[in-house]
Amino acid sequence: MEIFQYAFMQKAFVVGIMLAVIIPCIGIVVVLKRLSMIGDALSHTSLAGIAAGLIMGVNPVLGAILLCIIAAFGIEFIRKKIPKYSEMSIAIIMSAGIGLAGVLSGFVKNTANFNSFLFGSIVAISDFEMYLVAGISFFVLLAFIFLYKELFYVSMDERSARLAGIPVNTVNFIFTILTAITVSIAARTVGALIVSSLMVVPVACGMQFGKSYKQTVIYSIISAVIFTVVGLFVSYYRELKPGGTIVLVGVMTLLFIILTKRIMGKSLS
Amino acid sequence: MKKKKIIILSLLVLMILISITGCSSDTVEQDNEKIKVYTSFYPMYDFTSKIGGDKISVYNMVPSGTEPHDWEPAASDIVNLEKADLFVYNGAGMEHWVENVLSTLENKDLVVVEASQGIELLGSEDHHDHDHDHDHYHGEFDAHVWTDPLNVKIEMENIMKGLIQIDPYNQEYYEENYEKYSEELDILHEEFEGTISNLTNRDIVVSHMAFSYMSHAYGLNQISIDGLTPDSEPNPGRMAEIIDFVKDNNIKVIFFEELASPKIADAIANETDAVVDVLNPIEGLSDEELENGDDYFSVMRKNLEALSSALE
Repeated sequence: MEIFQYAFMQKAFVVGIMLAVIIPCIGIVVVLKRLSMIGDALSHTSLAGIAAGLIMGVNPVLGAILLCIIAAFGIEFIRKKIPKYSEMSIAIIMSAGIGLAGVLSGFVKNTANFNSFLFGSIVAISDFEMYLVAGISFFVLLAFIFLYKELFYVSMDERSARLAGIPVNTVNFIFTILTAITVSIAARTVGALIVSSLMVVPVACGMQFGKSYKQTVIYSIISAVIFTVVGLFVSYYRELKPGGTIVLVGVMTLLFIILTKRIMGKSLS
Repeated sequence: MKKKKIIILSLLVLMILISITGCSSDTVEQDNEKIKVYTSFYPMYDFTSKIGGDKISVYNMVPSGTEPHDWEPAASDIVNLEKADLFVYNGAGMEHWVENVLSTLENKDLVVVEASQGIELLGSEDHHDHDHDHDHYHGEFDAHVWTDPLNVKIEMENIMKGLIQIDPYNQEYYEENYEKYSEELDILHEEFEGTISNLTNRDIVVSHMAFSYMSHAYGLNQISIDGLTPDSEPNPGRMAEIIDFVKDNNIKVIFFEELASPKIADAIANETDAVVDVLNPIEGLSDEELENGDDYFSVMRKNLEALSSALE
């Protein structure tokens, strides 16, 4: 097929599919913990990290990862202080991140540099970024498989998980770090939009079909992969922006599923 | 308990007040001798300094190394404009913030020069003929008029007129400077014409449509990866088209600009035999270039070198 003769499209498919597998894995835990917006919060914070890295002369990607980890723990911290309104923690950290990024970016001398780190696009991925995504995908997948049961308990109900003898704090700790690293790297590579939407939309679709946690995870991953592949095809042949197209394909599919379920449900009753 | 809270609160308010007043000290110091000119971004700054010479002090609003397309003035810039005598901007859509800022100013004596006035604006469609029409660019103009040295003559003339209006006493001085640089621009123009007419290839692939005027003046064919502003996400179909174009026409160099991300240019070059190189639209210079004493002329000559090695 013509679309696959270009290296940049091949990379887009490879990286896109890798991320479509791991981001919903993180997403389902995040959604169940009522932290759906964490992807947005962290990707905004990572901008501040990039600016900080550039100002201090540290590797900006490292700066982004570090600040993302701090922000993710900040979210965890606030969430525990105000457990009833856990989404508030995200709003606080997100505004802190945007504010910090805004102020710090004023101090960055060379915006060319800044822009090249801000700017992520699924159709312009360097080799280094591809390996980075492959590495992080491997770790996330490994952690998700090894901690499968633990994450399930923790995301459902932390208190009973603790009673069942699960090291809740350790599991949360590992998961928070993985989330932070994934978001900071993926947002730089494919853009924040794709990352934050793949975290939630496929999970919402998976929940429409899944009758158990395991089924939901599998359906979420399948839908994320489908959205990414279809989105890339559509954006290639219709000359559309790839990030937005992938997101819209996802949201439209979700709407379609919800509507058909309603109609089917009505005709059954 | 209540007292403690009040004390903490008032301390907080005090801290905020102190930090605000601390910030206001970085406005420009008063210098009554010279005429205070504010320019929007680097080319305007360079042209104005050249015409005004030592009779004026020029302040550039967009800091060095900053991409002017997404820059917006800070409160301190507005304060400075209130005290300025002359404000020079390019116009033609380059500074989207100008109208808003000017309408809020209370400085009635401020003379405003739109340097691009009188230049025939070019539409931003590229001349690369493919079967899709990119009508989303339609109706917009390319603002980078200074990429054609002859347009710079018009801009400098507008700036000169503005200066004479404020400072008729030094009219001769400004006119002399204008004559001097006008000749230099003619020389630059001839260099471009002479060099480019000897080149075999005429197609340049650039990251954003900033070279319409240069292309128009010297018969180049500008193919831009994306629209009028750098750093927007390109669509994959367009990228594929350009890759095919680069392969079919044996293009050796993909140009990107210093102030924007080279990611897209890299991705295209990776796929073809082309290399990437800088073609500077002179939207701003980096600190390094300024230290080296670069200006419009030296950067344009570097551009010409880059063009001639790419199109041989």
